[in-house]
Amino acid sequence: MMRAGLRRGDKRRLVPRWLDPHGRHLGTWAFVANRLTGLGLVVYLYLHLVILSTLLRGPEAWDGLVELFRRPVFLAFDVLLVAGLAFHGFNGLRVALVGSGLLVDRHKALLVAAGTLVGLVTLVAAVRIVG
Amino acid sequence: MATRTEEDFTEATRRRRRPRPTFAWVAQVVSGVLLLVLLTAHMVAQHFVVEGGLRTYDQVIAWIRNPVVFAVEALLLVCVTWHGIAGVHAVLLDLGLRGRAERIVARVLLDLAVATILYGLWLLYMLAFRG
Repeated sequence: MMRAGLRRGDKRRLVPRWLDPHGRHLGTWAFVANRLTGLGLVVYLYLHLVILSTLLRGPEAWDGLVELFRRPVFLAFDVLLVAGLAFHGFNGLRVALVGSGLLVDRHKALLVAAGTLVGLVTLVAAVRIVG
Repeated sequence: MATRTEEDFTEATRRRRRPRPTFAWVAQVVSGVLLLVLLTAHMVAQHFVVEGGLRTYDQVIAWIRNPVVFAVEALLLVCVTWHGIAGVHAVLLDLGLRGRAERIVARVLLDLAVATILYGLWLLYMLAFRG
């Protein structure tokens, strides 16, 4: 599996090395961003399960929560969530292709394509959610 | 028989040097591609085509009672849990987790994934058949 340039068994502090800008290419930053959005989405998965569990408490509890989630701050969070999902999905597809040895020579074009798709999806979602 | 060109040879050599993909890598790619489809369907059906962006209690129960929706949501739960937990494991490997500690953490993560999937399936069942 791709390791973002980190050597196996490296004893030095790996978190600072992950975020060390020296000698890092854009693709490596995108890989690190994929890891970070992934961790954020795992946290959201469990938050989502906790929220969905409110359904077990019946219509009043759930419908009250739905009203709360229609407030602007939660709608903004929804747009951020879609942006995170789109980035992790499209950039993850790029990482999978390059990591599998496919389109390695086109990795920059793939990054641009992923970025464009993320922007488009986020824009459409923002218009749909906030508009 | 066609003569192997220098370019062919280079590509063949490159392929030979590439390490065989691990099961974890293949499973992460397959679950990731499935998630691109399933999450898109989930987001569009659950949030983008619904008036106000969120279903009321009665709408959620009616929706989840559809057998196709139930199956798709169950598959989404399995894929997203596997992908998320395996992703956390990969990040911990990146950060240098090795040996006995890695085996313990891997076991805990596997148990967490199983518990998450079982809880999610129970929640789906309760909403579809007892809601």
